Amino acid sequence: MPDPSQRRSRRRIPAGWLFISPWLVGLLLLFVYPFFASLYWSFCRYDLLSSPEWIGTEHYQRIATEIWNGDGFGNALWNTLYYAALSVPLSIITAVLLAVMLSWRIRGQAIFRTLFFLPSIIPLVASSILWLWLLDPQSGLVNHVLGWFGVPSQLWFQGVQEAAHPGTFLEFGSKDALVLMSTWGVGNFMLIYLAALGDIPHQLYEAAALDGAGRGRRFWHVTLPMLSPLILFNLVLGLIKSFQAFTQVYLVSEGTGEPVGSTLLLSLHLFLAAFQDLEMGYTSAMAWLLFIVLFIATALLFRSSRHWVHYRTSLGG
Amino acid sequence: MQRSLRSWFMIALPLLLAVSLAVLAWVTRPQSRIPEGREEVVFWHFWGGTDRAVVEEIVDRFNNSQQHYHVRAVAMPGNNLDMKMFLAVTGGDPPDLINQDDPIVADWAHRGALMPLEEIATAEEIQQLEGWLFPAARELGSYEGRLYGLCNGLDIRALYYNRTVIEERTGRPAPQQLESIEQLDKLATECELREEDGKLTSPGYLPDPRRLWAWGVVFGGRFIDESGKVTCDDPEIVRALEWMNRYREKWGANTLAAFRQGDQSLPGKTFPLLSGRYAIVMDGQWRVRDIPADRSGEFGVWPLPHPAGTERQADGWVNGNLFLVPRGCRSPRGAWEFMKFWSGFGGHEAEAARACSLGGWIPPSQQVVDQPRFQQYLQENPLFARFVELADGRQVPTPVIPGARMYEREVNRAVARSLYTDNPDDAGSLLKAAQRKVQQQMDRVQGRKEGP
Repeated sequence: MPDPSQRRSRRRIPAGWLFISPWLVGLLLLFVYPFFASLYWSFCRYDLLSSPEWIGTEHYQRIATEIWNGDGFGNALWNTLYYAALSVPLSIITAVLLAVMLSWRIRGQAIFRTLFFLPSIIPLVASSILWLWLLDPQSGLVNHVLGWFGVPSQLWFQGVQEAAHPGTFLEFGSKDALVLMSTWGVGNFMLIYLAALGDIPHQLYEAAALDGAGRGRRFWHVTLPMLSPLILFNLVLGLIKSFQAFTQVYLVSEGTGEPVGSTLLLSLHLFLAAFQDLEMGYTSAMAWLLFIVLFIATALLFRSSRHWVHYRTSLGG
Repeated sequence: MQRSLRSWFMIALPLLLAVSLAVLAWVTRPQSRIPEGREEVVFWHFWGGTDRAVVEEIVDRFNNSQQHYHVRAVAMPGNNLDMKMFLAVTGGDPPDLINQDDPIVADWAHRGALMPLEEIATAEEIQQLEGWLFPAARELGSYEGRLYGLCNGLDIRALYYNRTVIEERTGRPAPQQLESIEQLDKLATECELREEDGKLTSPGYLPDPRRLWAWGVVFGGRFIDESGKVTCDDPEIVRALEWMNRYREKWGANTLAAFRQGDQSLPGKTFPLLSGRYAIVMDGQWRVRDIPADRSGEFGVWPLPHPAGTERQADGWVNGNLFLVPRGCRSPRGAWEFMKFWSGFGGHEAEAARACSLGGWIPPSQQVVDQPRFQQYLQENPLFARFVELADGRQVPTPVIPGARMYEREVNRAVARSLYTDNPDDAGSLLKAAQRKVQQQMDRVQGRKEGP
């Protein structure tokens, strides 16, 4: 004799499936099918207009050659790594410092918090145009201000930065301009840190102060470890975001990745290969490599996190 | 009883929601404004701003003249019309007609995404059309001997100059004509302004990396040969790049980069020729309307000069706007009727002359140019008239080959590397590398065995 509660649960299963069916259909059609189809296409010559033609690992061999020569995918990978390596840490550092400063109880605290958050809700299109003006080599405000401190005029978005010629110290080019631009949207990260700062038990600071720790040491030994789970979260998120950065690059380079391919990040390279050169097979192969690179990078971050991320345990009584 | 009611409710609620959404979609569906008995022709185009109003007027005039077709224009300004079209074709629901200016004819025709016009028009019409079009307009729409696109406007480049700036800086009137590249260089040097420390503040002329396409053909080079092979490493094109490089050697890569490649193309009132920031700028006929009417006397247009001591091989490089009919569309005949109406073919020359006068477009045929209305427009706009004079000359069209967009990107990138980096490889090596890369891509697309 089946348990009546089990019978009741079984009866509710169809309703449950019905409720999640829109999501399920979307997941299968828009994510699962394209996910596996793109893996198949990465081994095919395919332009969407005609049937895929199996060519084995040709696209992967081409990508390997391009990485070796620093051309095409190799150039885009170098650009993306450069961008990610600078923009992710810079965004996190900026966001943490801003959050710490905005947690100080000063007059107008709410206004400052709003002001620093505002840029992150400005549409990327508007902020990209703004940065193009600010970083104009001839008439931009940034070069003007740098001039007051004796820093020579920079080319910013017009500056060619290639792997072979990355530029010298105090010579900022197109990728540096993109990195600088990325700090503009740290408001979201900042808000998360701000919330977490309010959650750090005050006793920890008191105990550190009693042990003679100054402001700097309290920040280093209390604030940062307590924020570390969120730093890990933002690090992973920032890394993924930087590998997918597209809109700003498309806008500032008018969809070309210029000058001389210096701003051709992976996502833009994928876009051009797919929709201008109609090479869906090659694009799929690149997308899969991008996925694998991101997967490995995220796994490594999580693995390393045991050495530097401190999860809170109960303080006990 | 209560439980059963709840189960029913849980099933009925999503159903009710779905039905409500369907009803809402039906009620708010766009109301068709197609007159009864007419066939709808869906037309996608890239025109925005003031041009869009001109396009809408052409569409209205066509619709008013028609008994069989009704055009519904969908404006998609920006530079991704080809991507949207590509997705629509792939999705099996393309528009009936598109008008756009990217070099995509060969890529799409090669893949069978476009209908050749001979499948829509009669053989007699096609024969007439080929003679009716300017040679460049015909070549821009042709791929492998078949006509796939009907050109409705040519884009021609020449040198704009600021008469006042030249007179002020050289102390003599601007010449009526530039006889040679060497004369351009001399004039550019005379017109440049520097600060006390030697920093360039206002160039006479600076080469733009995207303009090798024009200078290359004026120097006598060709970007494809008769067999369709990529030839951007043609010795004459290399010579043109070497000439452009002399400006880098003179000013340094950073100075050239600071006057960024887009600088000379700034739109509307920011056109740097107006402020005297440059004395001479290469651009197309669409720039004429950026020059205020009350200042038009201050500016002039020169055809592109060629190197002294050489025979003039071409007047310039041309691309244009083309009507294309996607395969699988519903009303190709309606599309054909509309494109004839706009371009002027088949007795519609007066309509086309009207449209070209309103939009400031260069017609694709001398028969439209000869229309009284257009002639009057040329008299009123002498700067524009200089461009139209060049339309029937030796204009070399942009290559109609699969991978044309990649070709454009790679050549522009090679030139930018040559102009904007210190100690780049020599012009020949850079263009050879671009040639190899693009030819490989073309061979891949065409399924040919790659060459050595």
